[in-house]
Amino acid sequence: MSSALSSTAQKLMLREQYGTPEQQRETVTLGMWIFLATEVMFFGGLFMAFAVYRMRFPQGFDEGSADMSIVLGSINTAVLIASSFAMALAIHSAATGKQYRSVWLLLTTAFLGVAFLAIKFTEYYQHYEAHKVPGIWFETSKPEAGAMQLFYVFYFAMTGLHALHMTIGITLVIIYALRAAAGSFDSEYHTPLEALGLYWHFVDIVWVFLFAIFYISGLHT
Amino acid sequence: MGPVVSVKTYMFTFLALLALTLSTVLIGFLNLGWGSMFVAVLIALGKAILIACFFMHALLEKKIVKLVIAGSILWFLILVTLTAGDYITRGWVAFGGK
Repeated sequence: MSSALSSTAQKLMLREQYGTPEQQRETVTLGMWIFLATEVMFFGGLFMAFAVYRMRFPQGFDEGSADMSIVLGSINTAVLIASSFAMALAIHSAATGKQYRSVWLLLTTAFLGVAFLAIKFTEYYQHYEAHKVPGIWFETSKPEAGAMQLFYVFYFAMTGLHALHMTIGITLVIIYALRAAAGSFDSEYHTPLEALGLYWHFVDIVWVFLFAIFYISGLHT
Repeated sequence: MGPVVSVKTYMFTFLALLALTLSTVLIGFLNLGWGSMFVAVLIALGKAILIACFFMHALLEKKIVKLVIAGSILWFLILVTLTAGDYITRGWVAFGGK
């Protein structure tokens, strides 16, 4: 155990139900992965439903996809990948004892997360301006209007659910940045950061697939 | 403490993910028909594997974590197989020229 460890970190380091810090870390990591497995089921159902309707109405879904802004979508993908990179570096900094760098990298991660949401909501506003709100305010001159609305239902439901995950993630990253600044983590104990990192990277993976299914198939039209 | 991966590995992963994103967009502009979505999802799968292996260092975790990951993929494939089998045999979706 490091002598430089703050009293907070010492207190948090080993809970009484664990034999060793290593066992505690493995339990936390396994728990987070099991939670992510349930998230695969959660998003998986939506992806499957999208796949079925995409195969049923390929033309209408391509018409919907053609409305997407590939520029904003690509920038957002890059922003989210950069945030994952910052998160990986934040954990690496904590693990190598660079506490201040870890705090700044966590804040960078949160900032990039907020930037992602800002760009996403800009896109939502553009859809609203273009009267592309399915069921409520939907106007199009294209032939497959019904299937196009269905595309937008999936688009808003899936990217909205992803944005909710982002919001929860950003809140946690800010809280953990404050905890890191207060000296709760060091090179010996930073398991909560690792668990948070797993969640953040998973949300990144979900977006990678959302980008692939919503933005690409309408590009050539 | 958990597995420590070098900064260089993270950097290469980051650059590879950006390169794959760019290639997804460029390939998207080609008119590949149904193949357009197929290629995009295939590249996304590659990106997901990079993130899971290097950012989430899944390869360095214990066997039980790998089992959970394999389990989640298997369960998702059960969902896909049974659902697709149902819709395709009803002729409700166009698949394989039907």
